[in-house]
Amino acid sequence: MSKVIEVKKLNKSYGSTKVLDNLSFEVEKGEILGLLGPNGSGKTTTINSILSLLNYESGTIKIMGKNMTPDSFDIKKNIGVIFQDVAVFDELSVFDNVDYFCGLYIKDKKKRRDCVTEALKLVGLEAYKKYTPKQLSGGLLRRLNIACGIAHKPSIIFFDEPTVAVDPQSRNNILEGIEELRDKGATIIYTTHYMEEVEILCDRIIILDKGVILASGTSEELKELANIDEKITVEGIKVSKKILEELNNNKNVDEVHLQKNTLKVTYKKGKNNLVELMDLLKKYKVKYSSLYSEKPTLNDVFLSLTGKELRD
Amino acid sequence: MFFHNFLYSLKVLFRNKPLMFWSFAFPIVLGLLFNLAFKDIEKNESFSSFDIAIVNSEEYLNNPIYKEAYTSLSEGDDKLFDINYVSKEEADVLLEDKEIVGYLEFSESVSITINQNGINETILKFVVDEIESNKEMINSLIQKRLENNKYSEIELIIGEIKSKVLNTSVSLKDQTKDNISYTMIEYYTLIAMTALYGGTIAIYITNLKLANMGSIGKRTAVTAIKKSSLLLSSLLASYLIQILELALLFLFTIFVLSVDYGNNLLYIIILALIGSFAGLTLGVAIATLIRASENTKTGILIAVTMFGCFLSGMMGITMKYVVDTYAPLVNLVNPAALITDGFYNLYYYGLNDNFILDLILLLVFSAVMLLISYRGLRRQKYDSI
Repeated sequence: MSKVIEVKKLNKSYGSTKVLDNLSFEVEKGEILGLLGPNGSGKTTTINSILSLLNYESGTIKIMGKNMTPDSFDIKKNIGVIFQDVAVFDELSVFDNVDYFCGLYIKDKKKRRDCVTEALKLVGLEAYKKYTPKQLSGGLLRRLNIACGIAHKPSIIFFDEPTVAVDPQSRNNILEGIEELRDKGATIIYTTHYMEEVEILCDRIIILDKGVILASGTSEELKELANIDEKITVEGIKVSKKILEELNNNKNVDEVHLQKNTLKVTYKKGKNNLVELMDLLKKYKVKYSSLYSEKPTLNDVFLSLTGKELRD
Repeated sequence: MFFHNFLYSLKVLFRNKPLMFWSFAFPIVLGLLFNLAFKDIEKNESFSSFDIAIVNSEEYLNNPIYKEAYTSLSEGDDKLFDINYVSKEEADVLLEDKEIVGYLEFSESVSITINQNGINETILKFVVDEIESNKEMINSLIQKRLENNKYSEIELIIGEIKSKVLNTSVSLKDQTKDNISYTMIEYYTLIAMTALYGGTIAIYITNLKLANMGSIGKRTAVTAIKKSSLLLSSLLASYLIQILELALLFLFTIFVLSVDYGNNLLYIIILALIGSFAGLTLGVAIATLIRASENTKTGILIAVTMFGCFLSGMMGITMKYVVDTYAPLVNLVNPAALITDGFYNLYYYGLNDNFILDLILLLVFSAVMLLISYRGLRRQKYDSI
């Protein structure tokens, strides 16, 4: 696979605050790269720097092998951007909005009309093409925002938190649309602080915090960094000291956490942890309302790497 | 792409209802209010001559130009003044008692004494200035002929003198159309205000093209089109709408309110077009230099325009005279004053050098606005957005 985007030693500060610290990464053709990090981690700054909207102190950015500058129009015509803030005209209809932005890339009217129709279909807005943005719900507005950014069929697409404040139906529609774009050959850079989205969508994930790359790899590779194998939560339980002692003495257990009537046990390893825990509770005749097991998430990876939760 | 952006800019602007209301409907509503408010005043108040005094002096009596000019302006049915020939002490008393608008004292030149500012005082000042400048011209004419020993042409010189002096009074009378129309001045100021308020459209459209001013600006900044092309086509659309709103205002005032702009319509249109351009560039400068919400920027433009209009006498022409007297430089950099002054010049004299100077200064103002906006307009990368 060839490199579509190369970012090397990118440094950027706002005053005395460093927001990008020696950031280096590459994006391969046809992959979906996820930039995962909490608010303020530098995701949007990274995208704006790549797009040559922001000045940066040092570093190099190459897209399709060429240095990216504000006048790199031959590169820009292949790029589509979906910014975090919705960027549409309230005065124009859904169709006209997409047509306007598409028209900044495609001159031929018939070709443009086809592109606009296709984009509206992709985001599920065909039935709303005569509506104005003010008549759309938040989720539909986000979909329009996406249609405006992709109608000209770019080969590189930047999605900057496209699902913020979106209802589940629209979120699913957006994620399906992005997968479809990838299937058609687009290279996608996707920023979010929703770990579930990058797990579903991304081929490779970069975890960012305070402008530094903490880790990168596939979802499975990253989860190994969490150093835990399983988390079991028992709700509606009254636990005795003996049970807690027994759990703490279990060599597979990493951490035992009791808060009110909820018991959380984190296991480093072990194959029958759930059964063993149930047996233990049975042995002491302890009652509980529910019990469930979870595999480690990217939040656990983030917690393990930074000591804080992704959404803190 | 230029035409595509131009067409969509027009579409966006025309569909922006608040912007269109303030641009198209507001001046018309204001014009209607002026018409209702001043219609009766205009009917009942026709211009009448006013009293002035001339301090008796040899300089006045021995100067045929002065004598001819002031006598001709104080005779007939359409006279401007009633002249009292008095001593300086008597003139002071008359002025104190408000029996006269002002008095004139003649030495090598003429000095005017008034004790308040108003329309009659303004007229007096204009007339005296005009006669004074003609006197200088005539003196130089005589000097040239005498230097060339063309004594035989003395009759011709006298003829020229008469012609110059008489033209002064005729010109004044023609331009004022026998009446000083307050309503006309209000309509002129309305046109000036509308021209400058067009800057709000420029603010709106410029904001949409700057990446540091909003999300649409960011989106257009990453497209494969030169920023200059996008800006130019959008501002062209903005200017076209400004022209349309002025055209509508003219048509409304002419055909609905029966306003007679006289023979100066072409020059009024030229002034309005250049004034609109000044308004547009003011809007561009505010949009580019001030990083704030669109509403704040629009508020700033309206505040600047209204203050400029206030200084230029739109809320009472006395203010224009005060600024002219005590801070004349302010009027040279105030676009509202330049537009108003242009209208005044047309109103009193028709096409003349001062009117042309007003146009040039408005263009200079526009050029300066564009120059200070240049860096912001050209900028493609930002420290933060």
